[in-house]
Amino acid sequence: MLKFWRSSTARFITLVFGIELILAAGMTLTLRTLTRAELERDAQDFAARLTNEIGTVYLDQGAENARKIIALRVLLSEGRSAVVLLVGADGKPLAGNLKGWPPTAKPGWSEIGLYRSGSGQLEQMGILVTPLPDGAKLLAGQVLESDRRLSGIVDRATGTALIFGLPLALFAAFAAVRIINARVDDIAQTARAVSAGRLSQRVSLDGSGDTFDRLGETLNAMLERIEALISELRIVTDGLAHDLRSPLTRLKARLERAQIEDDEDSLRTAIHMAGEETDRLLAMLTTALQISRAEAGIGRDHFMPANLGEMVADIAELYEPLVEDKGFAMEVATGTGPLVPMHRELVGQAIGNLIDNALKYGAESLRIATGEDGGHGWVEISDRGAGIPEEQREEALRRFGRLDPSRTGFGAGLGLSLVSAVARLHGGRIELGDAAPGLKVRLSLPLA
Amino acid sequence: MTAAMTQKILLVEDDNTTADFIIKGLSEQGFAVDHANNGRDGLFHATDGTYDAIVLDRMLPGMDGMSVLNAVRAAGISTPVIILSALGAVEDRVAGLTAGSDDYLTKPFAFAELLARLKLLMRRANAGPSNAVETVLTCHDLEMDLLSRRVKRGSRALDLQPREFRLLEYLMRHKEQVVTRTMLLEGVWDYHFDPGTNVIDVHVSRLRKKIDGEDEPTLIHTVRGAGYRLGSGE
Repeated sequence: MLKFWRSSTARFITLVFGIELILAAGMTLTLRTLTRAELERDAQDFAARLTNEIGTVYLDQGAENARKIIALRVLLSEGRSAVVLLVGADGKPLAGNLKGWPPTAKPGWSEIGLYRSGSGQLEQMGILVTPLPDGAKLLAGQVLESDRRLSGIVDRATGTALIFGLPLALFAAFAAVRIINARVDDIAQTARAVSAGRLSQRVSLDGSGDTFDRLGETLNAMLERIEALISELRIVTDGLAHDLRSPLTRLKARLERAQIEDDEDSLRTAIHMAGEETDRLLAMLTTALQISRAEAGIGRDHFMPANLGEMVADIAELYEPLVEDKGFAMEVATGTGPLVPMHRELVGQAIGNLIDNALKYGAESLRIATGEDGGHGWVEISDRGAGIPEEQREEALRRFGRLDPSRTGFGAGLGLSLVSAVARLHGGRIELGDAAPGLKVRLSLPLA
Repeated sequence: MTAAMTQKILLVEDDNTTADFIIKGLSEQGFAVDHANNGRDGLFHATDGTYDAIVLDRMLPGMDGMSVLNAVRAAGISTPVIILSALGAVEDRVAGLTAGSDDYLTKPFAFAELLARLKLLMRRANAGPSNAVETVLTCHDLEMDLLSRRVKRGSRALDLQPREFRLLEYLMRHKEQVVTRTMLLEGVWDYHFDPGTNVIDVHVSRLRKKIDGEDEPTLIHTVRGAGYRLGSGE
């Protein structure tokens, strides 16, 4: 039980209930105050009208007529208990239903306790005392007892409303919690299903765009990413196994043959070959690791702004002698800028890989350009090779994806996958296009 | 280079195969090597302060390499330290270098790479801070004027591209030392990534064509399995 009261459900119920309670109390209080004020104003109006009427009659038509009108008004007083007392200039009562002039009455409006004539009961009255020009004084007003009753009724009514309202408020609080719990449970169920291995499970959305819908959307995006990462991981594991197996098999075969042949020359060759083969394996592992780290978002805190144009020109210059030796022509169209926050080593490696790829699969010439558009800085490398057919471009970006099963050579599929991982790390993108003829690869990185 | 005094190197490495490999290689090069196979012993030896250089593995039993490095530096010992690590990402490099190591080498490494970097570190430490600004670098009959940016081999003026100039400058500043391809990539191009192909080799062979004429003694030597060395003779 104690645990329940510490839970957020209990706190939420208490909160909703408390707020409703405060609201009800506030409404009751306001209603009472307003009713009271209204009743008092009404009593004052009535007293003023009475004073005006009786005063006018007394001054215009004399005391006798005033006495009549007073008797009339006391009898017929709009459902109220009117009180009137007119005293002459000598202080003697002329007419009215009060026992005597109250010694505490002062000119103006006041509420005091008085006795009506023929009644032994002290009653609360609202009276208006007005001195008349000839020295006489007029007291007019009403008994407030009936008004008290009215405001009493209001109090009782709100009290009753509260008694029925409290369980209702409690019910409302519980209902609100139920609604929230249901939505949270839905999300929790999805999470449980995903934990249990059903990775394609998603939170159902009602399209209202409320907090829970937004939470669901965010979670779904996260699950989408997790699913993609895991399927990529599978591809990597399979691909790594496949790609590592062939060099390892070659390595083992060479070492075994050298062991059998057992002469100095073949041993020397075997050692040399083994060295090269291990270098290749290590390079593949390093790249695979780099891709994994980039995919996991490691290295974002090492972003520094760098001038993309100058950087690409630098790297192009690094590759230039190699390009020439291969008999390629290279056109470099880079200016200065734009400044892009980046992981310089990884972006450098990515650009290097793109140039390397263009050299491996292109022909005659390649073109490197940088530029800026739509909040992105981009570098574009086009070769004049066979290109990649549109329907295979997606596959080309996948790790270890080999476009052509016969395509051999070191890390054939790794180059572009690293570039695509680097693009994702930066929140940028990589696009493959047609250079007509040849492949056009554009790496875009956000400017900020 | 004549080893007038045997240089002492401390190796802190827990993997015995790697340790034997390094000890054997360094001994053949005329260094005296002390070996500690855990962090605590390594720190104990290092605080001795008589070593010319320390080769420190990063992942060690007991006390890891970074803690050893921190303790050594906190004790005011400025012996050059080169970290060996299987953690090869740039972030790990930066962490190692900011913690006070002088160089960082990723496992697996070529022994020639370790040797070249060790020699560079010790030479730098022995030379001390030099305030004299060099304006002319020479090697045999090769002369480089850093102010006018002119290079001469004997009486023959050489026409070098800006990057070739920087490459040669790096080699001349490290003349008679083995510099590896990665050292060149770091020193001349300021990148740590692996260009994949023999990019550096192509640059060096171009430079060599300009510097070493047909009937002149070779100055840029290829050191098999390691890199390059600028200098006269073998």
